[in-house]
Amino acid sequence: MSKFLVDLNIALRSLIQHSRRALFLGSAIGSVTALLILLVGLSTGIRETMIDTATTLSSGHLNVGGFYKVTAGQAAPVVTDYQRVLEVVKQSLPEMAFAVERGRGWAKIVSDTGSMQLGVTGIDIQQEPRFPSVLQISSGKLADLAEPGTILIFENQAEKLNVKVGDALTISAPTTRGSNNTIDVRVVAIARGIGLLSSWNSFVPMASLRALYQLNQTSTGVIQVMLRDQFVPRIPELAARLRIDLEKGGFRLLTPDPRAFWFKFQSVAREDWTGQKLDVTSWEDELSFMMWTLQALNGLSFILVVILIAIVIIGIMNTMWIAIRERTREIGTLRAIGMQRTGVLWMFLLESMLLGLFGTVAGAALGLAVATGLNALHIHVPISVQFFLMSDHLHLAVHPGAIIFAVVLITFITGIAAIYPALRAARLKPVTAMQHFG
Amino acid sequence: MTRRTLIGLALAAGALLVTSKVRAADTPPSHDQMVELLKQVDDRQRNNGDWRAGAYIEQKEKDKVDVVYETLYFRRSQDQKFMILFTKPKSSAGQGYLRIDQNLWFYDPSVGKWERRTERERIGGTNSRRSDFDESRLAEEYAPTFEGEEKLGSHTAFKLMLKGKPGLDLAFPMIRIWIDKDTHNVLKRQEYALSGRLLRTSYYPRWKKVFSESKHGEVWYPEEIRFYDEVEKANSTLILIRAVDLHPLEANLFTKAWLESKSR
Repeated sequence: MSKFLVDLNIALRSLIQHSRRALFLGSAIGSVTALLILLVGLSTGIRETMIDTATTLSSGHLNVGGFYKVTAGQAAPVVTDYQRVLEVVKQSLPEMAFAVERGRGWAKIVSDTGSMQLGVTGIDIQQEPRFPSVLQISSGKLADLAEPGTILIFENQAEKLNVKVGDALTISAPTTRGSNNTIDVRVVAIARGIGLLSSWNSFVPMASLRALYQLNQTSTGVIQVMLRDQFVPRIPELAARLRIDLEKGGFRLLTPDPRAFWFKFQSVAREDWTGQKLDVTSWEDELSFMMWTLQALNGLSFILVVILIAIVIIGIMNTMWIAIRERTREIGTLRAIGMQRTGVLWMFLLESMLLGLFGTVAGAALGLAVATGLNALHIHVPISVQFFLMSDHLHLAVHPGAIIFAVVLITFITGIAAIYPALRAARLKPVTAMQHFG
Repeated sequence: MTRRTLIGLALAAGALLVTSKVRAADTPPSHDQMVELLKQVDDRQRNNGDWRAGAYIEQKEKDKVDVVYETLYFRRSQDQKFMILFTKPKSSAGQGYLRIDQNLWFYDPSVGKWERRTERERIGGTNSRRSDFDESRLAEEYAPTFEGEEKLGSHTAFKLMLKGKPGLDLAFPMIRIWIDKDTHNVLKRQEYALSGRLLRTSYYPRWKKVFSESKHGEVWYPEEIRFYDEVEKANSTLILIRAVDLHPLEANLFTKAWLESKSR
């Protein structure tokens, strides 16, 4: 232990002695660490915003939906006898925080000046405490959505339909039996856009959705299951368990298909069965159509980080070459008074890793400070970016795990980069090294 | 549209639009008196029996060719049944609306399907609504507020704001109405959304009466109605009601089967 402390002392003194060079290289290492932390923070922030928004607006962590087919060719996104399904879900998932039932639909919305096709989600606003925290209402009152015959739409939809709060809209959609039905609704709230999900979705009270699709009280569109935070990473395992338990409970299930429910209409309609089949999906399945944005960002971050790390490696190796050249006589002296080759190797490695540690810690502090500052500024992002971000402002999520990961990774890489120059230094013969004039 | 028609339209609209100074009533009528007034308006148009008439509907839309529909429409007072059958043009012949059990159904023979619609439905895509062809039920469906008296051309009219009663399927939730003080015929209406947006202005320039045996009295009906779209300003609809017949209709007339049979 005392030998290690001596080595550490030597490495530290050496860094102080060559402070200009150490500062320069340490800054580069720190910058890369800060950038890595910011990129990971951005990616994690987007992912967390997506999960938060998506699991409130259009999906649970897990969903038990499905299709009901009156005839082989017609599929309606309906779960019949949903209370019985909910009982199985409760028994199967003790990890569940809560579950809500939502209606699912796809309908033509008609105003006095235009029309558009929109997703229509049936919701019981009084049972959804998280809902108001995700939406920013620009006009009207969200609480009014509790009244039957009302609708919440988003700003872009209100603009297209040329309506404001209080105006009437007509919703027209085919029922489970294929005949078209129509209801009138009053716009009670207009919410700010939150990206892709708000471009095609709208919300009506569950009673209105039931009236539109002529569903009885025992039918719903989907049971959305929210898990306690610590169980969210275990979604695939929990989904598999739930599927098994539902099958044991006597329910028929669709073959797992990791796509949003509205991608499945055609394939389900083509299948030769009638009656009810349930479908268990995760939030990632329901948002598979937009996960590419996250994957693209992760890919881009990875490429950037690899380039930056390559630059750091080249920088460290180059600096170490210079250091060895400058300190060749010092190496020769150390070897002459009895230091082994491994000792020389260890000395240079330790020096470089110490430099890496200082640099990464400083970089991590800088990255954390920049991320905190950016979050505090509530930077508004352009509408085109909001579309993918599902939020109107930039949010960077920097977690302790990510900081530790960045510090360990860059320090380790700094050590790796120093191996070859350190080996060259260790191979020097004492006599040759001592005669060197650099 | 010919020049003569244009001038005629302008004159007709102008005569109704010219409004002289508003004369406030000395003592505004009470709520009960206003409801009574609406009941009188309704009662003048009530038949208490069956009704059959033809309606000529002309739809004008900006940058589109004028469309003319000829229809037959039927109604039965006792159970509020109602039906419209399109007879012309050929492309629309056989289409129809049927109101039974408070539900309005639309039938299109080209697809052979019935679709449930609401009272906001634009009949045949025009700016008319089903209630424009039906008996007046203002007292039943709306709560009135008095807004004074106003001159509409040579007529003095009561001006009322009507708000739709909750839970009813209505074409318009708010209506400002001008009722002729002398005859209690409706002269003009402005129909609004709940947001306060003006959606449509309607003029009733000609009223006619027929004797009804079932009512044992006169039944008044608007022979001509003009609707002006206030959202798409260039659009308008003209309705001419003809050949009113108050004789009893066949018992099985208000059925899906009857309407379907007309296009076979």
